[in-house]
Amino acid sequence: MTLRCVVVTPERTELDREAEYVSLPMFDGELGVLSGRAPLIGRLGFGTLRLQTAAGPERYYVDGGFAHIEGDVINILTGRSIPIDLIDRDKAHEDLDAALAMSGGTPEEAQIRDTAVLRARGQLRASS
Amino acid sequence: MANARALDKRRKSIRNIRKITRTMELIATARYKKAMDRAAAVTAYTDRLSQIVNSLADSGTEVRHPLLEQRENPQAGRLLTLSSNRGLCGGYNASVLRTAVPHIEQMKSDVTNLSVDVSGKRGINGLKFRGIEPNDTYQQFEDQPAYDEVEKIASKYLELYVTGQMDRLDVIYTKFISTSRQEVTVETLLPFGSLDDGSSETAEATNTQYEFQPSAESILEEVVPTSFKAKLFKCFLDSAVSEQVARMIAMKGATESAGDMIKQLSMTYNRARQSQITGEIMEIIGGVEALEG
Repeated sequence: MTLRCVVVTPERTELDREAEYVSLPMFDGELGVLSGRAPLIGRLGFGTLRLQTAAGPERYYVDGGFAHIEGDVINILTGRSIPIDLIDRDKAHEDLDAALAMSGGTPEEAQIRDTAVLRARGQLRASS
Repeated sequence: MANARALDKRRKSIRNIRKITRTMELIATARYKKAMDRAAAVTAYTDRLSQIVNSLADSGTEVRHPLLEQRENPQAGRLLTLSSNRGLCGGYNASVLRTAVPHIEQMKSDVTNLSVDVSGKRGINGLKFRGIEPNDTYQQFEDQPAYDEVEKIASKYLELYVTGQMDRLDVIYTKFISTSRQEVTVETLLPFGSLDDGSSETAEATNTQYEFQPSAESILEEVVPTSFKAKLFKCFLDSAVSEQVARMIAMKGATESAGDMIKQLSMTYNRARQSQITGEIMEIIGGVEALEG
Protein backbone atom coordinates (compact mmCIF):
# COMPACT_ATOMS: atom_id res chain seq x y z
CA MET A 1 0.00 0.00 0.00
CA THR A 2 1.27 3.43 -0.87
CA LEU A 3 0.17 6.88 0.05
CA ARG A 4 -0.83 9.53 -2.42
CA CYS A 5 0.45 13.00 -1.64
CA VAL A 6 -1.16 15.98 -3.35
CA VAL A 7 0.18 19.49 -2.83
CA VAL A 8 -2.18 22.23 -3.92
CA THR A 9 -1.39 25.94 -4.07
CA PRO A 10 -3.84 28.60 -5.24
CA GLU A 11 -2.01 28.74 -8.56
CA ARG A 12 -1.88 25.07 -9.44
CA THR A 13 -1.44 21.52 -8.22
CA GLU A 14 2.27 21.49 -7.48
CA LEU A 15 2.71 17.83 -6.77
CA ASP A 16 0.76 14.60 -7.10
CA ARG A 17 2.97 11.71 -6.13
CA GLU A 18 2.81 8.22 -4.75
CA ALA A 19 4.93 7.76 -1.65
CA GLU A 20 5.63 5.11 0.95
CA TYR A 21 6.21 7.53 3.75
CA VAL A 22 5.49 11.23 4.15
CA SER A 23 6.76 13.54 6.85
CA LEU A 24 4.70 16.68 7.35
CA PRO A 25 6.06 19.89 8.90
CA MET A 26 3.25 20.51 11.36
CA PHE A 27 2.75 23.70 13.31
CA ASP A 28 4.23 22.14 16.43
CA GLY A 29 6.70 19.62 15.05
CA GLU A 30 7.05 16.94 12.42
CA LEU A 31 4.45 14.29 11.82
CA GLY A 32 5.24 11.07 10.02
CA VAL A 33 2.47 9.46 7.99
CA LEU A 34 2.31 5.88 6.82
CA SER A 35 -0.41 4.12 4.94
CA GLY A 36 -3.55 3.50 6.98
CA ARG A 37 -3.39 6.57 9.17
CA ALA A 38 -6.55 7.79 10.87
CA PRO A 39 -8.24 10.83 9.25
CA LEU A 40 -6.59 14.07 10.28
CA ILE A 41 -6.81 17.77 9.67
CA GLY A 42 -3.72 19.62 10.72
CA ARG A 43 -2.17 23.01 10.63
CA LEU A 44 1.22 23.16 8.92
CA GLY A 45 4.11 25.32 9.96
CA PHE A 46 6.97 26.61 7.84
CA GLY A 47 9.21 23.67 7.19
CA THR A 48 10.23 20.76 5.06
CA LEU A 49 7.87 18.24 3.57
CA ARG A 50 9.68 14.96 3.06
CA LEU A 51 8.50 12.16 0.83
CA GLN A 52 9.91 8.68 0.59
CA THR A 53 9.02 7.56 -2.90
CA ALA A 54 9.98 4.52 -4.92
CA ALA A 55 12.38 6.74 -6.87
CA GLY A 56 14.07 8.05 -3.72
CA PRO A 57 13.55 10.82 -1.20
CA GLU A 58 12.14 14.20 -2.15
CA ARG A 59 12.10 17.37 -0.11
CA TYR A 60 10.03 20.52 -0.45
CA TYR A 61 9.68 23.65 1.59
CA VAL A 62 6.05 24.49 2.40
CA ASP A 63 4.86 27.86 3.56
CA GLY A 64 2.27 27.04 6.21
CA GLY A 65 -1.23 25.92 5.34
CA PHE A 66 -3.14 22.74 6.09
CA ALA A 67 -2.89 19.01 5.73
CA HIS A 68 -5.96 16.90 5.21
CA ILE A 69 -5.53 13.16 5.48
CA GLU A 70 -8.30 10.78 4.62
CA GLY A 71 -7.86 7.23 3.49
CA ASP A 72 -4.46 7.01 1.93
CA VAL A 73 -4.62 10.46 0.40
CA ILE A 74 -2.79 13.42 1.88
CA ASN A 75 -3.99 16.77 0.63
CA ILE A 76 -1.68 19.64 1.45
CA LEU A 77 -2.97 23.16 1.02
CA THR A 78 -0.25 25.74 1.11
CA GLY A 79 0.52 29.18 -0.24
CA ARG A 80 3.86 28.18 -1.65
CA SER A 81 5.85 25.02 -2.11
CA ILE A 82 9.44 25.06 -3.37
CA PRO A 83 11.82 22.17 -3.96
CA ILE A 84 14.54 22.78 -1.39
CA ASP A 85 17.29 23.13 -3.96
CA LEU A 86 15.60 26.25 -5.26
CA ILE A 87 15.42 28.12 -1.96
CA ASP A 88 17.28 31.40 -2.03
CA ARG A 89 19.37 31.32 1.16
CA ASP A 90 20.59 34.89 0.91
CA LYS A 91 17.05 36.11 0.54
CA ALA A 92 16.00 34.05 3.56
CA HIS A 93 18.84 35.56 5.61
CA GLU A 94 17.74 39.04 4.60
CA ASP A 95 14.13 38.21 5.46
CA LEU A 96 15.18 36.95 8.87
CA ASP A 97 17.11 40.13 9.61
CA ALA A 98 14.17 42.23 8.45
CA ALA A 99 11.76 40.17 10.53
CA LEU A 100 13.90 40.46 13.65
CA ALA A 101 14.06 44.22 13.20
CA MET A 102 10.25 44.55 13.15
CA SER A 103 8.62 46.23 16.12
CA GLY A 104 6.64 44.08 18.51
CA GLY A 105 5.05 46.72 20.69
CA THR A 106 1.51 45.33 20.77
CA PRO A 107 0.46 41.66 20.91
CA GLU A 108 -0.78 41.87 17.31
CA GLU A 109 2.49 43.31 16.04
CA ALA A 110 4.45 40.75 18.01
CA GLN A 111 2.43 37.99 16.39
CA ILE A 112 3.07 39.34 12.90
CA ARG A 113 6.78 39.55 13.69
CA ASP A 114 6.87 36.02 15.08
CA THR A 115 5.24 34.65 11.94
CA ALA A 116 7.79 36.42 9.75
CA VAL A 117 10.65 35.08 11.90
CA LEU A 118 9.27 31.55 11.78
CA ARG A 119 8.91 31.71 8.01
CA ALA A 120 12.48 32.90 7.46
CA ARG A 121 13.91 30.38 9.91
CA GLY A 122 11.87 27.59 8.32
CA GLN A 123 13.36 28.42 4.92
CA LEU A 124 16.88 28.52 6.29
CA ARG A 125 16.45 25.23 8.08
CA ALA A 126 14.93 23.58 5.02
CA SER A 127 17.76 24.71 2.76
CA SER A 128 20.59 23.68 5.07
CA MET B 1 -18.11 61.97 -55.82
CA ALA B 2 -15.03 61.44 -53.68
CA ASN B 3 -11.61 61.04 -55.13
CA ALA B 4 -11.05 57.37 -56.04
CA ARG B 5 -7.42 57.44 -54.96
CA ALA B 6 -8.23 58.84 -51.53
CA LEU B 7 -10.88 56.16 -51.06
CA ASP B 8 -8.44 53.43 -51.97
CA LYS B 9 -5.89 54.77 -49.49
CA ARG B 10 -8.46 54.81 -46.74
CA ARG B 11 -9.51 51.26 -47.56
CA LYS B 12 -5.92 50.11 -47.30
CA SER B 13 -5.44 51.69 -43.89
CA ILE B 14 -8.64 50.10 -42.59
CA ARG B 15 -7.41 46.77 -43.87
CA ASN B 16 -4.25 47.22 -41.82
CA ILE B 17 -6.24 48.11 -38.73
CA ARG B 18 -8.36 45.03 -39.25
CA LYS B 19 -5.23 42.92 -39.29
CA ILE B 20 -4.19 44.37 -35.95
CA THR B 21 -7.58 43.94 -34.30
CA ARG B 22 -7.84 40.38 -35.54
CA THR B 23 -4.43 39.56 -34.08
CA MET B 24 -5.40 41.17 -30.79
CA GLU B 25 -8.56 39.10 -30.75
CA LEU B 26 -6.57 35.91 -31.21
CA ILE B 27 -4.11 36.88 -28.49
CA ALA B 28 -6.93 37.73 -26.09
CA THR B 29 -8.56 34.37 -26.81
CA ALA B 30 -5.36 32.49 -25.99
CA ARG B 31 -4.81 34.52 -22.82
CA TYR B 32 -8.41 34.06 -21.78
CA LYS B 33 -8.04 30.29 -21.99
CA LYS B 34 -4.89 30.39 -19.87
CA ALA B 35 -6.51 32.67 -17.32
CA MET B 36 -9.51 30.33 -17.15
CA ASP B 37 -7.24 27.39 -16.33
CA ARG B 38 -5.74 29.33 -13.46
CA ALA B 39 -9.18 30.23 -12.17
CA ALA B 40 -10.02 26.52 -12.22
CA ALA B 41 -6.88 25.78 -10.19
CA VAL B 42 -7.84 28.21 -7.46
CA THR B 43 -11.27 26.58 -7.31
CA ALA B 44 -9.57 23.27 -6.49
CA TYR B 45 -7.81 25.03 -3.64
CA THR B 46 -10.88 26.80 -2.24
CA ASP B 47 -12.98 23.63 -2.50
CA ARG B 48 -10.53 21.78 -0.30
CA LEU B 49 -10.40 24.72 2.06
CA SER B 50 -14.16 24.80 2.47
CA GLN B 51 -14.05 21.06 3.07
CA ILE B 52 -11.79 21.73 6.05
CA VAL B 53 -14.11 24.49 7.26
CA ASN B 54 -17.09 22.16 7.00
CA SER B 55 -15.28 19.46 8.95
CA LEU B 56 -14.47 22.03 11.62
CA ALA B 57 -18.09 23.12 11.81
CA ASP B 58 -19.24 19.50 11.95
CA SER B 59 -16.93 18.79 14.85
CA GLY B 60 -18.79 21.41 16.87
CA THR B 61 -16.08 24.05 16.93
CA GLU B 62 -17.44 27.48 17.52
CA VAL B 63 -16.53 29.56 14.50
CA ARG B 64 -15.19 32.74 16.03
CA HIS B 65 -12.33 34.83 14.82
CA PRO B 66 -11.37 38.51 15.08
CA LEU B 67 -11.54 38.81 11.30
CA LEU B 68 -15.13 37.60 11.24
CA GLU B 69 -16.46 40.12 13.74
CA GLN B 70 -18.21 43.27 12.61
CA ARG B 71 -16.58 46.33 14.10
CA GLU B 72 -18.79 48.94 15.63
CA ASN B 73 -18.33 52.44 14.39
CA PRO B 74 -15.71 51.87 11.67
CA GLN B 75 -13.28 54.77 11.36
CA ALA B 76 -10.81 53.92 8.64
CA GLY B 77 -11.96 52.29 5.42
CA ARG B 78 -10.08 51.12 2.40
CA LEU B 79 -11.23 50.43 -1.09
CA LEU B 80 -9.34 48.36 -3.63
CA THR B 81 -10.34 48.86 -7.24
CA LEU B 82 -9.19 46.34 -9.82
CA SER B 83 -8.85 47.58 -13.38
CA SER B 84 -6.56 46.78 -16.27
CA ASN B 85 -3.22 48.17 -17.35
CA ARG B 86 -4.13 48.27 -21.02
CA GLY B 87 -7.02 49.71 -22.94
CA LEU B 88 -8.83 48.46 -26.03
CA CYS B 89 -11.07 46.19 -24.00
CA GLY B 90 -14.47 47.75 -24.59
CA GLY B 91 -16.34 49.05 -21.58
CA TYR B 92 -14.32 47.04 -19.06
CA ASN B 93 -12.54 49.87 -17.28
CA ALA B 94 -15.36 52.35 -17.78
CA SER B 95 -17.85 50.14 -15.98
CA VAL B 96 -15.43 49.56 -13.08
CA LEU B 97 -14.99 53.31 -12.72
CA ARG B 98 -18.70 53.93 -13.07
CA THR B 99 -19.30 51.71 -10.05
CA ALA B 100 -16.24 52.92 -8.14
CA VAL B 101 -16.96 56.65 -8.08
CA PRO B 102 -20.42 56.53 -6.44
CA HIS B 103 -19.18 53.82 -4.07
CA ILE B 104 -16.30 56.02 -2.96
CA GLU B 105 -18.75 58.83 -2.25
CA GLN B 106 -20.92 56.47 -0.26
CA MET B 107 -17.99 55.08 1.72
CA LYS B 108 -16.78 58.58 2.48
CA SER B 109 -20.06 59.22 4.25
CA ASP B 110 -19.79 55.91 6.16
CA VAL B 111 -16.22 56.19 7.40
CA THR B 112 -14.25 59.26 8.35
CA ASN B 113 -10.97 58.18 6.87
CA LEU B 114 -11.04 56.53 3.46
CA SER B 115 -8.07 55.55 1.34
CA VAL B 116 -8.43 54.20 -2.17
CA ASP B 117 -6.04 51.66 -3.64
CA VAL B 118 -6.06 50.96 -7.35
CA SER B 119 -4.58 48.21 -9.46
CA GLY B 120 -4.18 48.94 -13.16
CA LYS B 121 -3.00 52.02 -15.06
CA ARG B 122 -6.42 52.67 -16.53
CA GLY B 123 -8.07 52.80 -13.13
CA ILE B 124 -5.33 55.00 -11.68
CA ASN B 125 -5.64 57.54 -14.48
CA GLY B 126 -9.43 57.32 -14.54
CA LEU B 127 -9.73 58.09 -10.85
CA LYS B 128 -7.13 60.85 -10.99
CA PHE B 129 -9.13 62.45 -13.79
CA ARG B 130 -12.20 62.34 -11.57
CA GLY B 131 -10.32 64.08 -8.78
CA ILE B 132 -9.69 61.05 -6.58
CA GLU B 133 -6.07 60.61 -5.58
CA PRO B 134 -5.24 56.91 -5.11
CA ASN B 135 -3.26 55.91 -2.04
CA ASP B 136 -1.48 52.77 -3.16
CA THR B 137 -1.24 51.78 -6.79
CA TYR B 138 -0.29 48.48 -8.36
CA GLN B 139 0.70 48.01 -11.96
CA GLN B 140 2.33 44.61 -11.86
CA PHE B 141 -0.80 42.58 -12.53
CA GLU B 142 -1.29 41.50 -16.12
CA ASP B 143 -3.26 38.57 -17.46
CA GLN B 144 -1.75 36.11 -14.98
CA PRO B 145 -1.62 37.61 -11.49
CA ALA B 146 0.93 35.77 -9.34
CA TYR B 147 -0.20 34.48 -5.97
CA ASP B 148 2.98 35.72 -4.30
CA GLU B 149 2.21 39.28 -5.35
CA VAL B 150 -1.41 39.08 -4.27
CA GLU B 151 -0.42 37.50 -0.99
CA LYS B 152 1.83 40.44 -0.18
CA ILE B 153 -1.10 42.80 -0.63
CA ALA B 154 -3.40 40.49 1.34
CA SER B 155 -0.90 40.26 4.21
CA LYS B 156 -0.56 44.02 4.26
CA TYR B 157 -4.33 44.41 4.58
CA LEU B 158 -4.53 41.76 7.27
CA GLU B 159 -1.77 43.53 9.17
CA LEU B 160 -3.55 46.88 8.91
CA TYR B 161 -6.82 45.32 9.98
CA VAL B 162 -5.44 43.37 12.92
CA THR B 163 -3.48 46.32 14.25
CA GLY B 164 -6.59 48.47 14.05
CA GLN B 165 -5.38 50.88 11.36
CA MET B 166 -8.21 49.79 9.11
CA ASP B 167 -11.75 48.77 9.99
CA ARG B 168 -13.18 47.85 6.63
CA LEU B 169 -11.95 46.71 3.24
CA ASP B 170 -14.07 46.78 0.11
CA VAL B 171 -13.00 45.43 -3.25
CA ILE B 172 -14.46 46.47 -6.59
CA TYR B 173 -13.75 43.99 -9.34
CA THR B 174 -15.33 42.47 -12.41
CA LYS B 175 -16.81 39.13 -11.55
CA PHE B 176 -16.67 36.53 -14.25
CA ILE B 177 -20.02 34.75 -14.51
CA SER B 178 -19.85 33.37 -18.02
CA THR B 179 -18.18 34.22 -21.31
CA SER B 180 -21.12 36.42 -22.19
CA ARG B 181 -21.61 37.94 -18.75
CA GLN B 182 -19.23 39.76 -16.44
CA GLU B 183 -20.49 41.99 -13.69
CA VAL B 184 -18.78 44.68 -11.71
CA THR B 185 -19.13 43.65 -8.08
CA VAL B 186 -18.48 45.39 -4.79
CA GLU B 187 -17.54 43.04 -2.00
CA THR B 188 -16.64 43.70 1.60
CA LEU B 189 -13.73 41.38 2.32
CA LEU B 190 -12.86 42.63 5.79
CA PRO B 191 -14.57 42.01 8.14
CA PHE B 192 -14.77 38.67 6.44
CA GLY B 193 -18.46 37.92 5.96
CA SER B 194 -18.60 34.16 6.19
CA LEU B 195 -16.23 31.31 5.60
CA ASP B 196 -18.25 29.37 3.08
CA ASP B 197 -18.74 31.06 -0.25
CA GLY B 198 -22.12 29.54 -1.01
CA SER B 199 -20.62 26.33 -2.31
CA SER B 200 -21.12 24.48 0.97
CA GLU B 201 -24.46 23.11 -0.20
CA THR B 202 -22.72 21.07 -2.84
CA ALA B 203 -20.21 19.60 -0.41
CA GLU B 204 -21.38 16.19 0.57
CA ALA B 205 -21.66 15.49 4.26
CA THR B 206 -19.03 13.03 5.35
CA ASN B 207 -19.23 11.23 8.62
CA THR B 208 -15.49 10.95 9.06
CA GLN B 209 -14.22 11.73 12.50
CA TYR B 210 -11.12 13.84 12.10
CA GLU B 211 -8.30 14.31 14.47
CA PHE B 212 -7.32 17.97 14.70
CA GLN B 213 -3.67 18.83 15.05
CA PRO B 214 -2.74 20.72 17.19
CA SER B 215 -6.36 21.77 17.92
CA ALA B 216 -9.48 22.82 16.08
CA GLU B 217 -9.09 26.37 17.41
CA SER B 218 -5.56 26.64 16.09
CA ILE B 219 -6.68 25.47 12.66
CA LEU B 220 -9.54 27.94 12.65
CA GLU B 221 -7.10 30.70 13.53
CA GLU B 222 -5.23 29.91 10.31
CA VAL B 223 -8.19 29.04 8.08
CA VAL B 224 -9.73 32.51 8.20
CA PRO B 225 -6.69 34.49 6.93
CA THR B 226 -6.02 31.79 4.34
CA SER B 227 -9.58 32.02 3.08
CA PHE B 228 -9.24 35.78 2.88
CA LYS B 229 -6.08 35.47 0.82
CA ALA B 230 -7.65 32.91 -1.48
CA LYS B 231 -10.68 35.13 -1.93
CA LEU B 232 -8.62 38.19 -2.76
CA PHE B 233 -6.61 36.11 -5.21
CA LYS B 234 -9.83 34.95 -6.81
CA CYS B 235 -10.90 38.58 -7.22
CA PHE B 236 -7.67 39.30 -9.11
CA LEU B 237 -8.09 36.21 -11.27
CA ASP B 238 -11.71 37.04 -12.06
CA SER B 239 -10.67 40.53 -13.08
CA ALA B 240 -7.95 39.15 -15.34
CA VAL B 241 -10.33 36.69 -17.01
CA SER B 242 -13.00 39.35 -17.46
CA GLU B 243 -10.48 41.73 -18.99
CA GLN B 244 -9.44 39.18 -21.58
CA VAL B 245 -13.06 38.33 -22.39
CA ALA B 246 -13.90 42.02 -22.73
CA ARG B 247 -10.93 42.55 -25.03
CA MET B 248 -11.80 39.49 -27.07
CA ILE B 249 -15.35 40.70 -27.63
CA ALA B 250 -14.31 44.29 -28.30
CA MET B 251 -11.72 43.21 -30.86
CA LYS B 252 -14.13 40.81 -32.51
CA GLY B 253 -16.56 43.70 -32.91
CA ALA B 254 -13.81 45.93 -34.24
CA THR B 255 -12.73 43.32 -36.80
CA GLU B 256 -16.29 42.87 -37.99
CA SER B 257 -16.90 46.62 -38.23
CA ALA B 258 -13.69 47.02 -40.20
CA GLY B 259 -14.93 44.35 -42.63
CA ASP B 260 -18.23 46.18 -43.06
CA MET B 261 -16.45 49.46 -43.57
CA ILE B 262 -14.17 47.96 -46.22
CA LYS B 263 -17.23 46.66 -48.06
CA GLN B 264 -18.87 50.08 -48.00
CA LEU B 265 -15.70 51.81 -49.11
CA SER B 266 -15.13 49.30 -51.92
CA MET B 267 -18.58 50.03 -53.22
CA THR B 268 -18.05 53.79 -53.13
CA TYR B 269 -14.61 53.38 -54.63
CA ASN B 270 -15.92 51.29 -57.54
CA ARG B 271 -18.66 53.79 -58.17
CA ALA B 272 -16.16 56.65 -58.12
CA ARG B 273 -13.87 54.81 -60.50
CA GLN B 274 -16.78 54.02 -62.84
CA SER B 275 -17.93 57.61 -62.99
CA GLN B 276 -14.38 58.74 -63.57
CA ILE B 277 -14.10 56.36 -66.56
CA THR B 278 -17.48 57.44 -67.86
CA GLY B 279 -16.38 61.04 -67.59
CA GLU B 280 -13.20 60.32 -69.51
CA ILE B 281 -15.05 58.49 -72.31
CA MET B 282 -17.48 61.37 -72.59
CA GLU B 283 -14.55 63.74 -72.95
CA ILE B 284 -12.98 61.59 -75.69
CA ILE B 285 -16.26 61.31 -77.58
CA GLY B 286 -16.73 65.04 -77.26
CA GLY B 287 -13.23 65.60 -78.61
CA VAL B 288 -13.76 63.25 -81.57
CA GLU B 289 -17.04 64.87 -82.44
CA ALA B 290 -15.43 68.29 -82.32
CA LEU B 291 -12.69 67.15 -84.74
CA GLU B 292 -15.22 65.64 -87.17
CA GLY B 293 -17.40 68.69 -87.07
